Amino acid sequence: MRRTAAFLGVAGLLAGATGCGSLTSAATEVGGDRMTDPRPVRDGGTLTVALKSDPDKLDPSLAQTLVGRTVFAGMCEKLYDTDRTGKVVPQLAAALPKTSDGGRTVTITVRHDLTFSDGTHLDAAAVARSLERHRTLPGSARATELGPLVKAEATGAYTVRIRLKEPYVPLTGVLADRAGMVMSPTALKKYGKNFTNHPSCVGPFKYVERVAGDRIVLAKDPRYYDADKVHLDKVVYKTITDGGVRLANLRSGDIQAGDQMGPVEVQSSLTEKQLQLFTSPSLGYQGLGFNTGNVHGTGQKPGKLDTVFAREPRVREAFELALDRKVINKVVFQDMYEPACGPVSPESAIAPGAADCPGRDLARAKKLLKEAGVTLPVPVELKVSTSPEDSRLGQVIQAMAREADFDVRLRPMEYATLLEETDAGRFDAYVSGWSGRLDPDGNIASFVGTAGAMNTYGISEPAIDRLIAKGRTTADPAARARVYGQLTDRIRDQHALLYLYRQKNYVVARKDVAGLRVYGDGLVRVKDAGYVR
Amino acid sequence: MNRYLLTRLRQSLITLFLVSVVVFAGIRALPGDPALALAGEERSPQALAAIREAYGLNDNIVVQYGRFVGHALTGDLGTSARTGLPVLDSILDALPVTLELAALSLLLAVVLGIGAGVLAAVRRGKATEWLANAIALLGLSVPTFWLGIVLVLAFAIAVPIFAASGYVPFGTDPLDNLRRMVLPAIVLGSGLAAVVMRQTRGAMLDNLSADYVRTARAKGLSRRQVVGGHALRNSLVTVVTVLGLQLGHLISGAVVTEQIFVLPGFGKLTIDAVFTRDYTMLQGVVLCTSAAYILVNLAVDVLYSVIDPRIRLGGAR
Repeated sequence: MRRTAAFLGVAGLLAGATGCGSLTSAATEVGGDRMTDPRPVRDGGTLTVALKSDPDKLDPSLAQTLVGRTVFAGMCEKLYDTDRTGKVVPQLAAALPKTSDGGRTVTITVRHDLTFSDGTHLDAAAVARSLERHRTLPGSARATELGPLVKAEATGAYTVRIRLKEPYVPLTGVLADRAGMVMSPTALKKYGKNFTNHPSCVGPFKYVERVAGDRIVLAKDPRYYDADKVHLDKVVYKTITDGGVRLANLRSGDIQAGDQMGPVEVQSSLTEKQLQLFTSPSLGYQGLGFNTGNVHGTGQKPGKLDTVFAREPRVREAFELALDRKVINKVVFQDMYEPACGPVSPESAIAPGAADCPGRDLARAKKLLKEAGVTLPVPVELKVSTSPEDSRLGQVIQAMAREADFDVRLRPMEYATLLEETDAGRFDAYVSGWSGRLDPDGNIASFVGTAGAMNTYGISEPAIDRLIAKGRTTADPAARARVYGQLTDRIRDQHALLYLYRQKNYVVARKDVAGLRVYGDGLVRVKDAGYVR
Repeated sequence: MNRYLLTRLRQSLITLFLVSVVVFAGIRALPGDPALALAGEERSPQALAAIREAYGLNDNIVVQYGRFVGHALTGDLGTSARTGLPVLDSILDALPVTLELAALSLLLAVVLGIGAGVLAAVRRGKATEWLANAIALLGLSVPTFWLGIVLVLAFAIAVPIFAASGYVPFGTDPLDNLRRMVLPAIVLGSGLAAVVMRQTRGAMLDNLSADYVRTARAKGLSRRQVVGGHALRNSLVTVVTVLGLQLGHLISGAVVTEQIFVLPGFGKLTIDAVFTRDYTMLQGVVLCTSAAYILVNLAVDVLYSVIDPRIRLGGAR
């Protein structure tokens, strides 16, 4: 035990000593984060952005990956977008939506000056068609988030009316993501499901080509309504999975921006004069989930599970009390992320206010285990992905939990296998995370609502379900924030999903590049980017 | 001749059929639900059901296999479940990259390996032999990933004469192509060069002490003629055999090299398909590789029979 404490102590000190003081000194903007570089840029040039993984289908209805969203940010604008403060602002829409009929009807007006990259004019009919496609296309990844939508129809040349089954406040946030992307009706008619290989939207750049596993090329779209403000000729998205290789390519100048850089690479990049760092807080969370009732598979009604972690909330609470979020952040992530203990990012426009994370309390943890009457040490298998970060996190959790009499066995698994195991409920505990959505509902409902699509933990609590429903129908932002505050407390009382830390979005770029924007959604926005004059 | 050809063709088709079964079953034996892997962050039951339906994952495995073979026979390898791109197009894009990388690595291995092997044998017991052996040992021991990163740091960042990543077709810009391919070729070829060096050295030492070499020397031939014209020529038989055996390793080694240098080749295509459980892409890639291997073997067998009719007659029996 002493050795474990010494290990954690020394690791914490080392991490603190080598920490990222320079990160904060470089901060210039909101909340100490550097989200853009306002230096003037010249016209022309190609920007190569390295992505952490290969994007999936370039079809807004079918797309499912975070990296895919970054590519869309260059070529498919949405009805709404987020600004640097996390507030929803109109993009293709002319104004924020108006609700009527007790929240069951939403009216959206679109701008008049929009043309798709294939030359088709964007009007209300095109918006309605895209919304209907998102909702009804078999396999659409937008169907769940547009679930309450009954019908979208054009009621004027530039006016769209959306009818809902019930009031659905998260809709505006949903339309600030892929569900709000409008596809050219001409391209949809011509290519159908093959739209993915011929995507045509409204955006600063238009699709040129894609080579599987290598690159996606976009070129400046002269038809774009704001084309005068677009400086680059081309943007190339390359897939470079290894963070070290991404950094090496940034150093050599073969790429100009690297997306989703890890703490180790960011620390290294800070020593390079020709590189600069953009940061923004993440809207997502990372944590650890226990199986408390997933016996029939995710998305099904939970059942009774005969394990000590499923039976005894006190054991789960004891496990949480064994963990020190601050030390985890220091040791595993060089203090470059933020400790967290709730699903909603403080950056969200509907943030319930900063919650006090429970500190490490070994005495109380041991007391709870004694009260629960379990045999010590309590065995638990913790499944982690094979990524270096998850492995380090697992080891630190294992060392901390040991001091509270938990015997944590780590089980590293390749990601696809981990997904299958957890989806089927074949786990005690696993390291789990979410990239985050603009509206808090996107971080909560599917994960902790009874039979939620991603409720792998088997959580089923009527009070939580009621609050989720209330959050969806409460329009007043202050009242909504209070609902999500109560919801956070209820979720934390379950100790089934332990929120541990919140990542930060780190994008490293060459110093001769300016105008990139990195907001809370983690996307690399290239519209205003260019090479400095 | 025709009968022999038909027999070999029949055997090749049977092999190809067995390969297709193994490929198909092997991929499905991988742990991990492909629908979940493909669904990414949006794992709603509806989305998962639609993915399973779209790619026929709900069907009986025999039905799935029949569909796969049926389409493959018409040259349709399907579209990638992940990206929606046609599998055949992706393979044709990736093939030249890996072939060029393998060819350059082989060239490097042959030139360096044979050169160093001959030098080590000729200067046996001297510093040259020690140095060549040490370099060969280093070439065999250094992990590919480490060597790749070190070369990038040295020759793409510190002294930027080569590019750190990417591929430009030779036809588009030969100089830029070489600037991007030299480092990967060194990384991939270094291990093979070490093997070739050691084989060459061993074979050369055997041949240099053989009677026919002593005779050649006694006849007054120059050192160059003895080494190059007699010993090396005979040593090459062993070296060529080893090179042939190592070719497979070269292709499989390309997987790591392509990851380090971000080359859009076969290896990268395969790895991406494995991790995302993109069955269609994976089946296409592995089947094409196997088919190419079987075809090359068939061509070689036919060529053997042309060179040596005894093989043909033996085959006919």
